[in-house]
Amino acid sequence: MSELMPEHFMFLSAALFIIGMVGVLTRNNVLVIFMCVELMLTAVNISFVGFAWEFNQLTGQIFALFVIAIAAAEAVIGLGIIMALTRQRDTVDINQVRELRQ
Amino acid sequence: MAAEVLVFNLLSAVAIVAAAAMITMRNPIHSAIALVVTFVNVAAIFVMLRAEFLAAVQIIVYTGAVLVLILFVLMLVNQDDLPEFHGAKPLQQVFGFGLGIVLLIEIGAAILTRTVVAEPGPWDEQGIAQAGGHIQSIGQVLYSGYVLPIQATAFVLLLATIGALFLGRPDEDEEPTPTRRPVATISLAHTRGADDAPLPQLQAANVKHEAGDRDLIMARDADEFTSIPGEDDEQKERSE
Amino acid sequence: MSSWLFLIPLLPLVAAVINFLIGRWILRDSAQWIATLAVAASFILSIPVMLEIMADEQPLSQHLYTWIPAGDFDIPVTLFVDQLTAIMLLVVTGVGLLVHIYSIGYMHGDPGTYRFFSYLPLFVFSMLMLVMANNFLVLFVFWEAVGLCSFLLIGFWFRRRSAAAAAKKAFIVNRVGDFGFGIGILLIFVTYGTIEYAAVFDQVGDATQTTITVIALLLFTGAIGKSAQLPLFVWLPDAMEGPTPVSALIHAATMVTAGIFVMARAYPIVYESSDAMMVIAIIGAATAFIAATIAVTQYDIKKVVAYSTVSQLGFMAFALGTGAWIAAIFHLVTHAFFKGLLFLGAGSVIHGMHEEQDMRKMGGLKKYMPITYWTFLIGAAANAGIIPLAGFWSKDEIILGTWLYDHTVIMVVAFVTAFFTSLYMFRAVFMTFHGEERFDPEKVHPHESPKVMTIPLIVLAFFALTAGFMGFPPEDGWIHHFLIHSFPGLSLPDVAFSTIAVFAGISTLIALSGLYIQYLAYVKKSISPAGIAGLLGPLYKLAANRWYLDEIYDVLIVRPLVAFSMFLWRFVDAQVIDGTVNGVAALVTYTSSQWRRAQTGLIANYVVMIALGAVIIIGAFMLFGSNLFD
Repeated sequence: MSELMPEHFMFLSAALFIIGMVGVLTRNNVLVIFMCVELMLTAVNISFVGFAWEFNQLTGQIFALFVIAIAAAEAVIGLGIIMALTRQRDTVDINQVRELRQ
Repeated sequence: MAAEVLVFNLLSAVAIVAAAAMITMRNPIHSAIALVVTFVNVAAIFVMLRAEFLAAVQIIVYTGAVLVLILFVLMLVNQDDLPEFHGAKPLQQVFGFGLGIVLLIEIGAAILTRTVVAEPGPWDEQGIAQAGGHIQSIGQVLYSGYVLPIQATAFVLLLATIGALFLGRPDEDEEPTPTRRPVATISLAHTRGADDAPLPQLQAANVKHEAGDRDLIMARDADEFTSIPGEDDEQKERSE
Repeated sequence: MSSWLFLIPLLPLVAAVINFLIGRWILRDSAQWIATLAVAASFILSIPVMLEIMADEQPLSQHLYTWIPAGDFDIPVTLFVDQLTAIMLLVVTGVGLLVHIYSIGYMHGDPGTYRFFSYLPLFVFSMLMLVMANNFLVLFVFWEAVGLCSFLLIGFWFRRRSAAAAAKKAFIVNRVGDFGFGIGILLIFVTYGTIEYAAVFDQVGDATQTTITVIALLLFTGAIGKSAQLPLFVWLPDAMEGPTPVSALIHAATMVTAGIFVMARAYPIVYESSDAMMVIAIIGAATAFIAATIAVTQYDIKKVVAYSTVSQLGFMAFALGTGAWIAAIFHLVTHAFFKGLLFLGAGSVIHGMHEEQDMRKMGGLKKYMPITYWTFLIGAAANAGIIPLAGFWSKDEIILGTWLYDHTVIMVVAFVTAFFTSLYMFRAVFMTFHGEERFDPEKVHPHESPKVMTIPLIVLAFFALTAGFMGFPPEDGWIHHFLIHSFPGLSLPDVAFSTIAVFAGISTLIALSGLYIQYLAYVKKSISPAGIAGLLGPLYKLAANRWYLDEIYDVLIVRPLVAFSMFLWRFVDAQVIDGTVNGVAALVTYTSSQWRRAQTGLIANYVVMIALGAVIIIGAFMLFGSNLFD
C-alpha cells in the first residue's frame, strides 16, 4: 500500500458504478435514477483515466472527454424527457409510466 | 508516496459515502447535493491521475452545468407526491442490492485475479512537460487522431439541443391524437341498435365510454351488433 | 435412309401436339385428317426402312442427341432399327393407320374428336419410340408414355364413371409391373455398367446366373403388366371401356405387344437363364389357358375379343419362354392383323347395333352387315387357327416350338387352349351373326357401317388372310430368314415335313372341332350351351367369374390398402400430423401468452433484467475465462 496501484482506482470505479446501478434498480424517482446514471458514467470515466495514467497514455483521457460530452447531451435530452413526462403525466414515478406496454 | 495513497483513499471514501448517500436520501435535492460532493471528489482524483484538464471539465460540465440543470428541473417538477425510497417494492430492493453485491464480488474477483497488459505510452510526466503542459498534450492527441469523432460529438450536441427544444415546446391546445383505433359505442339498452335510441341519449353514452359502464359495449362498427330492417340489403350492395 | 429415321416418330408427335394445342378452337373435326396423314406418312416412311434392312441385313441407327450426359454415364437418344424393330414399325404404323382411318368414321360426331386424334398419334409416337430405342432407359420412358396414353384413351369418355375407373385400373395395374421393370433396368445398369442394348448383350455372360435370372424375371414383370399376363391381366378386359378403335390400337398393335417386344428385345439376357425361361413359359401357358376359358363364358362381344387377346399374348409369352423366338414375333405380327380386325369388326357391330355390346341381344346380323360379317369371320377363323389363315401358321409354329424344345406339358396346354380359342371365336361369330334375331326390331335397326370403317376392315381382312404366308413354309419362310439376323444366337430348327404336317393336322382338327361344336350349339341348336354349363357346374362358374381374380385382388390388395389409407388419413394425418402442427401452434400461443406477462411495461423491471444480464455475462466470463465463446 505504499504506492498508488491500479487496484485503487479500479475498486473506486467499481464501487461507484455498482452504487449507481443499485440506485437505478431501487429508486422510483426518475430524477434520482437520472443522477445515478450520471454517477455510473463518471465511474467509467475513472477507469478510463486510471488506465491512461497507468500506461502513460492519453487515449483514455480522450475517451473520458467524449463520455463527458455525450453525457452532457444525454442530460439535456433526459431532462427534456422528464419535463415532457411531468407535463403530460404530472408524475416522476417510473411505476406510473407503463407506456411501454402495448 | 504513502501520502498520495492516503489522499487517494480519503477522496475515494468521501466519494463513495456521498454516492451511497445519494441513493438513500429521501429528498431528491439532497441526493443532488450528495452527487455534487461525489463529483468534486472524483475531479480531485482526476488531478491525482494526471488528468487536470478532465478534472476541470468534470467540475464545469457535471457539477456546474448538469447538476444545476437537474436542480432546475427538480424545482420545476411537482414534488408533492414523489415516490419515497422506502416506499419502493421490497422485491425490487432485494433484487437491486443482491445484484449489486453479486456484481461487486465478480468485479472484485476480476480486479484481483486479472491483469491488463499494454504497451506503455510516451505520456508520462516528462512527456507532458515536453509537450508544454497538460492541456497542450491533450490537444495534440485530440486534434491529431480524433478530428472526426470531435465533429460527430459536436453534431450529437447540436441534435441534443434541437431535441431539448422539441421536448420542451409549449403544450398545444388541441387534444393529443388518440392512439387507439376509433371505436363506436352502442347501447345495449336498445337491442335493435343505437339508431333507434333518441339522439341525446346516444351522445351521453358516447361520452361515458371510458367509465367501463356495463351497459356499453365497444364495437368497431355500430352495425356489427345491430341490424336495421331494410338497411341490410343496402349494406350488402355497398360491400359488393 | 437412316438420316430420315427421325421423321417416323416425329410426324405423329407433331400431329398430336398440333391437335392438342389448337384442335379445340381451330381444327375441330379436321384434326382427324392431320393425325391420319401424319401416321400415313410414318407408315410410308417405314416401308423404305424395311426394304433397306431386307437388302443390307444391317441395323440402321440415327443419333439424335444426348439426353443425360453425366460423366461416364450418358444416355443418348438414338433411333435404332434392326429386323425386329422394322417389323414392329410396319405393324405399329400400318395397324395404327387403319385404326386412324376407322376412327374417322367411328368417332364421327363425338365432341372430343380433336382430343381423340391428339391422343392416338401420341400413342403411335410413344410406341414407335419404344421400339426404336437403343437403350433401356429411353425404352422405359416411352414404355411409361405408352401407359400414359393408354390411360388417356381408355378414360377417353371420362364422364362415364366406369371408363374413368377402368383407366385408373389399367394405369395402376401397369404400375405394378413397371415397378419391377424399372428395378430390372437399374439392376442391368448396376450389373453391366451400361444400359445400351448392344453393350449389355455383349457382356451378358459376365454376370452370375442368379443375377441374369433376376434381371430377366424383373423385365418380365413389366411385360406381365403391359402385356396382360397372369396375374395382372385384369386391367385389359376393363379397358374395353374406351372407344373401340382404342381397344384395337392398344390391344392389337401397340401397347400389349410392347411387353412381348421388350422380352424379345432382351432375349439375349432372357435366353441365358433357363429358370427365367421356364417361369415365362409357365406363366404364358397359364395365361393363355385361363383367358381362353374365360372368353368362352363371356357375353360381351368386346370382352370375348379382349380375353382372346390375353390368351394370344399368353401364346406369345410361352413361345418366348420355350425358345420359339421367331414364332413369337411371327404370332405378334399376325395377331396384330387379325386382332385389330376383330376389334374393329366388333366395333362395327356395336356401331351398327346402336352401342349394344351384349351378344345375347344380337343374332342374325349376317344379312344386315355383310362386310362386317365376312371380315369378322375371317378374323375369327384366323384367330382360331383355321388353315390357311394367318393365325394358323404362327400358332401352329408356336405349338411346334413347344414340341421341338421339349415342353410336352405346355404343348398339351397349348392344344387345349387352341381348342378353347376355336370355341370362343366361333361362339362369338354364331351368336352375333347367325341364328334368330334376338334384338328388338322396333328399336334397333342394324345397318352396315360407312365405307371409312369397312375399308380398314377389308384391308385387315386381306392381311389376316395372307399374312401367314410370310412364314410359309413353316420354319423356313421369309420371316424366319429375315428375323434370323436379329440376334447372332438364333437358329432355324431343321424340322421334318412329316412333323409339321402332323402338327398342322392336329391343329386343324382341333380348330374345326371347335367350329363344329359351336355350329351345333348356336345354329343347329342340337346342343344346349346352358346344359353344358350346368354339367360343368363349378368349373363354368369359375370361368364365368373370371377365376375370381378381381375378387382376390379386392380382398388381398384393395381392401387392406383402403383400410391402411383410412388409417393413414384418420389417424396419421388427422391426428398425428395435424396434431403436431396444431400442437406447435398451440405451444407457441401458450408460451407467448406466458412470456407476455414479462412485458410489464415497467421500466424498473426492464432495468433489472438488463442488470441481471450484465451480471450473468460477467460471471460467465469470470468462470470460463476469455475462451467462453471458443
